[in-house]
Amino acid sequence: MTEKKPPTLEEFRARAALTGLPLTSEDLEHLHKGYAGLLSLMERIPTRWAWAAEPPHVFRADE
Amino acid sequence: MSKRSTSDLTTLSIAEAGSLMARGEVTSTALTEAFLARIAAVDHKIASFVTLTADKARNAARQADMELSQGVRRGPLHGIPIGLKDIYETEGVLTTGHSHLRADYVPAVDAETVRRLKAGGAVILGKLATHEFANGAMTPDQPFPPARNPWNTAYQPGGSSSGSGAAVAAALCMGAMGSDTGGSIRNPAGFCGTAGIKPTYGLVSRCGIFPLAFSLDTAGPLTWTVEDSALMLDVLAGYDPNDQGSAKAPKVDYGAAAHRPIKGLRIALARSWYEGPTPDMAKGIDEAVRVLREQGAVVEDVVFPDIWDYHICGRVIITTEAHAVHRQDVIERPEKFGYTTRRRFQLGAFITAEQYLRALRFRRKLQLDTRAAMRGYDLIMTANHWGAPEIFEEPQPIFHFLDKASLTMPFNVTGQPALTVCCGFGSDGFPLSFQLAGRPFDEASVFAAGAAYERATPWRLRRPTL
Repeated sequence: MTEKKPPTLEEFRARAALTGLPLTSEDLEHLHKGYAGLLSLMERIPTRWAWAAEPPHVFRADE
Repeated sequence: MSKRSTSDLTTLSIAEAGSLMARGEVTSTALTEAFLARIAAVDHKIASFVTLTADKARNAARQADMELSQGVRRGPLHGIPIGLKDIYETEGVLTTGHSHLRADYVPAVDAETVRRLKAGGAVILGKLATHEFANGAMTPDQPFPPARNPWNTAYQPGGSSSGSGAAVAAALCMGAMGSDTGGSIRNPAGFCGTAGIKPTYGLVSRCGIFPLAFSLDTAGPLTWTVEDSALMLDVLAGYDPNDQGSAKAPKVDYGAAAHRPIKGLRIALARSWYEGPTPDMAKGIDEAVRVLREQGAVVEDVVFPDIWDYHICGRVIITTEAHAVHRQDVIERPEKFGYTTRRRFQLGAFITAEQYLRALRFRRKLQLDTRAAMRGYDLIMTANHWGAPEIFEEPQPIFHFLDKASLTMPFNVTGQPALTVCCGFGSDGFPLSFQLAGRPFDEASVFAAGAAYERATPWRLRRPTL
């Protein structure tokens, strides 16, 4: 599901607990701001794609 | 033999030094000693070298001279003193990535690019400062002092190939290897006033270079002149089965391409990408357009996809892949990273698989849209950077990508070759520069236009004073 709204700091903290990263509260504040900024810029990236619009793969079966 | 002064020797181009050595008028030993003397005299002001390999360099120079005396010349880099960004693995030589995490790492094998440079007769003077693992900002909690800009040491040299840009501009080596994932060759090349090329993705091996983001990482040279970058690429380019992204591209003589006429070459000017640079930068690029037209090129304004589209697409890919590369260390030893690097590498843990795949799909779309906009043109021209570098003492924001779109990112996203060319100096004394990008694997046209511009302008005559 594509995220539309940036998470609150509390929501972000809950999510951070699942990442496995040892984070200080200062880390969390910085990361929350960074993630919210990134998410807002990501609105430029289309969310709906045709099946044919597969990402380019580095894997090839003939190599 | 050589009666030239140290400064005469250290400001020669690679092409000039190669000709002089071939004629027996200069030795590699004399060149190497001149650079070592200059490094000893001035590098404490800009901290570009983190490890100096003087003895190895002297031995390599003696070997090069002996071979030349026997009529053996391995190629355009024979006997040429160069430096390596400290993310290139070097046999028996400390390779730190400018990080406490690799403070004692001494590789057993050279990176493929280093092997090629040595096989081509290059003399390696040492390892150069970098932003930590080619991504973090330069912060005081790192093992070496950060490099400074030789045009004004109170300013940053740009990065992440910070030492490479600073050392080449300060005439501390004739060429230097950098790496470019979102602009890390072209950014310091622009701020330090050197040439530098991000080759087509896959043209130069990344095997043995610390990765940042596998899908975007490229390796390439920074040099004082465009022709010298072409000569270095002649030695570096080629297929490597140990790099999964390596391409089987036909061999091209880039050095010769740098002397091609550009009459009739068609250049698409991506003006909309750099609306709002400093007045100096806008004027410098307008003047560069005039010079290229005088040389016979056709330069026309063309509309490309929005610069922010490329910027966010590349940034999501870098953030995700850099986290994957460094995940174990940010979990087990986070305190070993600089405080900015750590946060940049942690951020990728919050990007979902769906967001990452969406960015990869967007990359393909941008690549196709760029190709369509470029139809009928050989090259794209645009600004290289926004204006003056940052002041050294003002800490960079942790997430630097939120304020301004990167002017270099489009060509990482599309994989096209992109060259930085100095186009004068601003009223603040800092270099101005533009980018020329070609079709994939058409570095030859990029070099032809860049070198033609340089030959028609006086900018290569001015060097920073240290």
